[in-house]
Amino acid sequence: MINIQTFRKLGAACTLTFLSVFALTLPALAEQESHEGEEHEGAHIELSAEQIEHAGITLEKAGPGMLFETLKVYGSVKPNPEHSQSITARFEGQITSFNKSIGDTVKRGEKLVTIEANDSLQRYNLIASIDGVVTQRQANVGEQTNGRTLLKIDDLSNVWVELSLFPKDLEAVSIGQQVRVQDKQGAILAEGEISYISPIAQTDSRSVTARVPLENRQRTLIPGSFVVGQITLSQDRVPLLIDKQAIQIVEERSVVFVKGHEGFEPREVELGRSDGLSIEVLDGLQVGETYVAANSFVLKSELGKEDAEHGH
Amino acid sequence: MIDKLIMFSLTRRWLIMFLVLIVAALGVWNYQKLPIDAVPDITNIQVQINTEAPGYSPLEVEQRVTYLVELAITGLPYVESTRSISRYALSQVTVVFEKGTDIYFARNLINERLQQAKSEMPSGIEPVMGPVATGLGEIFHYAVHAEPDAVQDNGEPYDSTALRTLQDWVIRPQLRLVPGVTEINTIGGFEKEFHVTPTAAQLLAYGLTFDDLVGALEANNANVGAGYIEKNGEQYLIRAPGQVADLSEMGNIVVATRDGLPIRLSDVADIGYGKQLRTGAATLDGKETVLGTAVMLLGGNSRTVSEAVASKLSAINKTLPEGVVAEPVYNRTVLVDKTISTVQTNLVEGALLVVVVLLVMLGNIRAALLTAMVIPLSMLMLMTGMVQTKVSANLMSLGALDFGLIVDGAVIIVENCIARLAARQHELGRLLKRSERFETVFAATREVFTPSLISVLVVILVNLPILALTGVEGKMFTPMAMAVIMALLSALVLSLTFVPAAVALLLTGRIQEKENFIVRSAKQVYRPVLEAALSLRIPVLLGALVFIGVCVGIASRMGTEFVPNLDEGDVAIQALRIPGTSLTQSLDMQFQLEKAILELPEVKTYFSRVGTAEVASDPMGPNISDGYVMLKPRAEWPEPNKTKAQLLEDMKAKLALLPGNAFEISQPIQLRFNELISGVRSDLGIKVFGDDLDQLLASGSEIAAVLNDIEGAEGVKIEQVAGLPILSVQADREALSRYGLNVAELQEVVAAATGGEEAGLVFEGDRRFAIVVRLDESLRNDLAELERLPIPLPGGQYVPISEVASLELAPGANQISRENGKRRLVVSTNVRGRDLGGFVAEAQRQIEDKVSMLPGYWLGYGGTFEQLQSASQRLSVLVPVTLVMIFALLMVTFGSARDAALVFSGVPLALTGGVIALWARDIPLSITAGVGFITLCGVSVLTGVMMVSAFRDRLRQGMDIDEAIRSGAMLRLRPILMVALVAALGFLPMALNTSTGAEVQRPLATVVIGGIISSTLLTLLVLPGLYLMVNRSTDFTESDHDR
Repeated sequence: MINIQTFRKLGAACTLTFLSVFALTLPALAEQESHEGEEHEGAHIELSAEQIEHAGITLEKAGPGMLFETLKVYGSVKPNPEHSQSITARFEGQITSFNKSIGDTVKRGEKLVTIEANDSLQRYNLIASIDGVVTQRQANVGEQTNGRTLLKIDDLSNVWVELSLFPKDLEAVSIGQQVRVQDKQGAILAEGEISYISPIAQTDSRSVTARVPLENRQRTLIPGSFVVGQITLSQDRVPLLIDKQAIQIVEERSVVFVKGHEGFEPREVELGRSDGLSIEVLDGLQVGETYVAANSFVLKSELGKEDAEHGH
Repeated sequence: MIDKLIMFSLTRRWLIMFLVLIVAALGVWNYQKLPIDAVPDITNIQVQINTEAPGYSPLEVEQRVTYLVELAITGLPYVESTRSISRYALSQVTVVFEKGTDIYFARNLINERLQQAKSEMPSGIEPVMGPVATGLGEIFHYAVHAEPDAVQDNGEPYDSTALRTLQDWVIRPQLRLVPGVTEINTIGGFEKEFHVTPTAAQLLAYGLTFDDLVGALEANNANVGAGYIEKNGEQYLIRAPGQVADLSEMGNIVVATRDGLPIRLSDVADIGYGKQLRTGAATLDGKETVLGTAVMLLGGNSRTVSEAVASKLSAINKTLPEGVVAEPVYNRTVLVDKTISTVQTNLVEGALLVVVVLLVMLGNIRAALLTAMVIPLSMLMLMTGMVQTKVSANLMSLGALDFGLIVDGAVIIVENCIARLAARQHELGRLLKRSERFETVFAATREVFTPSLISVLVVILVNLPILALTGVEGKMFTPMAMAVIMALLSALVLSLTFVPAAVALLLTGRIQEKENFIVRSAKQVYRPVLEAALSLRIPVLLGALVFIGVCVGIASRMGTEFVPNLDEGDVAIQALRIPGTSLTQSLDMQFQLEKAILELPEVKTYFSRVGTAEVASDPMGPNISDGYVMLKPRAEWPEPNKTKAQLLEDMKAKLALLPGNAFEISQPIQLRFNELISGVRSDLGIKVFGDDLDQLLASGSEIAAVLNDIEGAEGVKIEQVAGLPILSVQADREALSRYGLNVAELQEVVAAATGGEEAGLVFEGDRRFAIVVRLDESLRNDLAELERLPIPLPGGQYVPISEVASLELAPGANQISRENGKRRLVVSTNVRGRDLGGFVAEAQRQIEDKVSMLPGYWLGYGGTFEQLQSASQRLSVLVPVTLVMIFALLMVTFGSARDAALVFSGVPLALTGGVIALWARDIPLSITAGVGFITLCGVSVLTGVMMVSAFRDRLRQGMDIDEAIRSGAMLRLRPILMVALVAALGFLPMALNTSTGAEVQRPLATVVIGGIISSTLLTLLVLPGLYLMVNRSTDFTESDHDR
């Protein structure tokens, strides 16, 4: 950009050279325009109520609040092995009838299969010892049992969600933490607790498995399907919590704009834990102080605008 | 030779008339070709090479693109300098060529080298040269918007994507064809894209990667031509179409098969229309819009081109869908018309006044008209000259023309001819024979030719220093000086050829020997005053000296400016926010700003460009916006008399309410110039060259500290190269190796997820839209999500990014500037309250002492001090040379140093009037005022020479010195008054006009009018006395000056 000062000076130089030389004695002096010196603003930014409104700034009071820290991990639904039954023949024999087929619900104590034992030629029944659903059937009427698993009953009202935890996650995750299970589109399926973290890692992904046993009365959790788990790492009441939008990085330091008597003051703060929305302040801010929450960037911009330039 | 020329003109007068006619016709023809604009073009000869590198951060752009382009153009002939900036996704290299280089030749040279460079760049990256245009190129802006109730074919209201599509595929292709338009640049809205947005979980569930999706899309979206077959004497062409036509077809593409089941694209991703990752946006009156800019080809006629664009646009409007309007928001024609009409009015009114003066003073209508004819004729000759020398017609080049000065030569010749003819007729008591008439005209012309020649030569001489200006100043004022010189030379030639010939032809009848009433009464007044002045010559002289002293005092206290700003009638507001401001945030702030400014009743519309347009002729970050405030015609203002300055104050008051923005207020053309010719804009710029950005910054800070301690430094600034928040995904190589991954695999996931990956095109007729695979917008903006993004492992497993990389948010390079092939950082300062030269010397010494530079780092000194130094060096040589030459000219004329000095002494007093007039009207000193002083020198010398030569003639005829002075002065009263009146009245309209463009001419006209009054008084009153004092004691003897 053409510097006006330059123009003035050069203009003065040229014009006055003409004048002075032609008039032989004209010792003309270029009048120095007083530079409109803009003092670099101190620590305070003063804004009128009108300006605050124009800028869309919202003010909040710092105070105690709840902090929810979460961790997102992936996993899959498994049938609960403690709630399944493989039906095998007690005495080898020929199957004479099947009462249940794949997909049928069974009640505890219900008769499942009738077998005629090879040795005694006695018929006996195989009884379900859990409630559940028939998920496998390997044999048909007339076949020999031959030590096979004939039926498999799984109690799907109780499933496990197995989540993959990576080494860095392990520090934060512990047994008893709450987990919200979502499908891959993000819809919430169930909520439960971590009951077990495997002590052995997988060899190729180095991940360990965390188990969340869940009730599945509605059958929304389909074993084998892919799920996303949101683990609540902590759920604490912290003494000083502020809106995360309030934090601006100024000269590589975290700063919150605090309302004082003379305007807004950028104050360096020490930050603690954070969830997606709020952040804990450890030092630099007092309970009850008013700070800029939404659009705090405008203040950062105001603070730095003296240096804003359009370089080429 | 001159005698022969005059003689020839008299004898061959019809031939001369014919030639004049031809020259006039040539002038008319050339006038059609003359580029007309409002202001002179101050852009240097430069070629911009813009390279888009989507997704690249400044560092990568510099390394992978800018460096290669610079390397390629190194060593090209005629290159003056190169500079470059590397920003996010954009590299711009500007090559400045030496003055006079043909731009097309330069572009050819560059093109050749770019071909080589291209092969070394990452694939898909293509350097493109900017449009062949100058700073005056952006002549027309239009905004595409829809009526609120307008709907698209599918029933949806028009959004900015739909409008952008219309602009790109309907409006722009047509406007590009308008002759004189080199480019239609677009900013705003979103280019339509087809977006395939999987979530990480969806990909993971099927064990797919981004690459799988891209691969599937590419493999299922192409047409193939398969030759032809012959069948029963016919030839069938064979094609195998496979392009997807719409979203549902795209969704049916099979990505993979699992357990024998096809997994379609729609199973793993959402498919829809999406928005590009844009680098710029446009706003109109507080809303988003799509803005088109017509860029004029270099050397075009902005008025005709923008008119053509406007009419084409209105034709296109009829073909647009109902409810969609492409509305012109800025049209250069308006400004040019206003400016040209100002110049025209001034010139026509001036010319009329000149004719009236001639008529009154000469009392002969034929003589008056033929003298006045010199005005249009020399103008037409000037047109030819301007076309030949490629000087464009504008406020500057035409603004300084004074018809009075142009006809001065002709006036004194015609006046003398009339006087002589009348005297001869009176003497002979009859009408003159043709030969007698010719003889008289010849003698009369010859007699006063010398003063008119000298006055022209003097004006040309004093213009020489202006011609020696370089850089921006040169570009601005050289055309002005050229035009004045050409017009004067034309007038000189005319007064030697056309004027005598026309006098001989036209003044045939009886010439009124008696002077008319006005001249008589002037003489009656003058006689006693002259007597008094002669007898009181010492007090008069002292009075004059005191007067000069007073004026010197006034002049030294006057404000100065380089050139008065041409009021373009509109306002440009550049709003700057801190680097790193996002486009969305910047737009929000811009909306606030526009709404605030629109509250002013004088504002018609306000449109702005935020960030960089499609053709990156001005690579701004998203934190900067160029806003154009169009004002209503004055008649519609609540207070039509409000000054522009007041309006600007009102605007500033409104702007002050908006925190977070810094502003620079200028005008549309001015803004563009500033962007194009920017170099170091402070008084002193210290450039640190080197390799490491941090080291450059460290050295820069040291230098800034040293500068701050030097007396006179003000506003020391370090170029803002950092401050852009950069989120680095730092790979942990050890962790990667544990998982058997390469860094590239990590990078691919990051790039595809946030930047997206192009996967072919969808064709809709001519229109083509990119298919992009990337993460959903809501996930892209979530840092936690980014951290958890899974990277597929060879065995079908995955690992989240956070396991193998760390995310670091830190301010990084905002832009990397380079100059002449090396990284550069500028520390700039202005200097207040002490002389620049001394400051620079001290700064150099102190920096040498206190700042130690590492090997491989060096300093360069630049800034306006260079221009100031070179300009003052030039002027300090040229001005004395000019003065000596003027003096020598007068010496040769008079053959006497004393007489030359006498005439020369008239100059200071002539200038005093100009100073007083400026002071009285409160106008600061400026270059245009300086040109007025130049004109004054000419007039002053002209009248002085006329006066002194009349005295000398009489002395030579043996008259007593007192008598010689009295009768000489009486004789010259009429021509001197005429010259003065003609010159002053010719400028009167210019001095009083207030319409667009007048502010540039006003100082010039004011100076001339004021100066001529004082100069005439001097010549008529002081000069005779001075001559008497100097020559009284001398025994005057004939000198041999007569050539």
